[in-house]
Amino acid sequence: MSIIIIASDSYKTGREISEKVAEAAGYACMDRELLKSVSEKYNAPEGKLIRALEKPPSFMGLTSKLRNLYLAYIQEVTLSRLLEDNVVCHGLAAHLYILGVSHALKVRILSDPERLISEMTAQENVARKKAINLIKKRKALRKRWSIACFNMDENEPSGYDLVISLSQIEPDEAVKTVVDTVGYRKFKPMTYSIKCLKDKELAGRVRAVLMKNFSDVKVQANGSTVIVETRALKRDKQKKTEAIKKLAGEIKDVGIVEVHVFKDIFRQAVESDR
Amino acid sequence: MSERLDVLILDDEPIVGKRLKPALAKIGCEVEIFVNSNEALDRINEKEFDIVVTDIRMENIDGLQVLEHVVKKSGRTKVIMLTGYAMMAVAREAMEKGAFDFIAKPFKPDDLRKIIAKAAKALGSPIDFNASDAGND
Repeated sequence: MSIIIIASDSYKTGREISEKVAEAAGYACMDRELLKSVSEKYNAPEGKLIRALEKPPSFMGLTSKLRNLYLAYIQEVTLSRLLEDNVVCHGLAAHLYILGVSHALKVRILSDPERLISEMTAQENVARKKAINLIKKRKALRKRWSIACFNMDENEPSGYDLVISLSQIEPDEAVKTVVDTVGYRKFKPMTYSIKCLKDKELAGRVRAVLMKNFSDVKVQANGSTVIVETRALKRDKQKKTEAIKKLAGEIKDVGIVEVHVFKDIFRQAVESDR
Repeated sequence: MSERLDVLILDDEPIVGKRLKPALAKIGCEVEIFVNSNEALDRINEKEFDIVVTDIRMENIDGLQVLEHVVKKSGRTKVIMLTGYAMMAVAREAMEKGAFDFIAKPFKPDDLRKIIAKAAKALGSPIDFNASDAGND
């Protein structure tokens, strides 16, 4: 069966629709409750995991390194659950890292602007005009966050299979549309799409291990072959390669580990100035 | 297995059919191999195969056109798509047009045998996959 990934401009709206879709389709619903498992598995504070999912790096907030590490943990646990199928996934940024998996239906739910304004007014205890400004700021922040973390603008409609505006479509109709759409043959799992998801899951497990030591790694998997890209100075290249091969090679299902080390031109430039 | 499965393999790379034929024969398939789409379509017009395995990217008539032809001719035949250029959009298009499954190259003969076994089950002619000595290539 398929996977439904729901993203929304409002966490509350996205959650409500996700729960209804899961109920109507007979799927499990996976939301931020999963962060408890992530927190326990990786000993990462739940509050910081949420912050990694919501805010771009800043002086007062998480550093890029920590945010990427927490996101790697979240991805790893989310991907392993998504292998189970028949799941509606919301609130875990899966729309930004489940790419190219044909049995994953990606849906963007746009809240009714009036509802969004009244929610913001009540939540922040501000006047309507201020609430509108806060919503605009939040949207810009989300854009900044998604580009910083995944190099994608989550507001971009082309990233989704289906975009539904609740200002035009009633929530129950939206739910029905999502359930009907996932029933199309094109969203049925096939050998290829299941392999794509398994490859992502394995890459996710390797990334979560490697990123504790090497924050710049990029990991891909193809079957049991894992390809790791990283940066290093020439003198550190061999040492880093060996360390990555050792760490990744110990992970279940990993066969061959290919490490591609690129020149760390920034560090090289810094060192040559000394 | 209750009866032999008639399988047609179409791939313009001769090595694919050559490798797959003995692998599928092991699980009781009667296999015909083709490297030319037109010839394969002529044969499909003559005979109703249980399973058609076709490459997607081929000159003249591509695998998606073969799929459409098979689906139009016989709703019973299961079509399995192979490709070395797998992309989500093509995979979805193939499924929407009625493909039974879709697998990216390279793959192991065992991967295809598993799909064939699944198709055989859907056709009501299950294969005893474990008794076939299938994993010993």
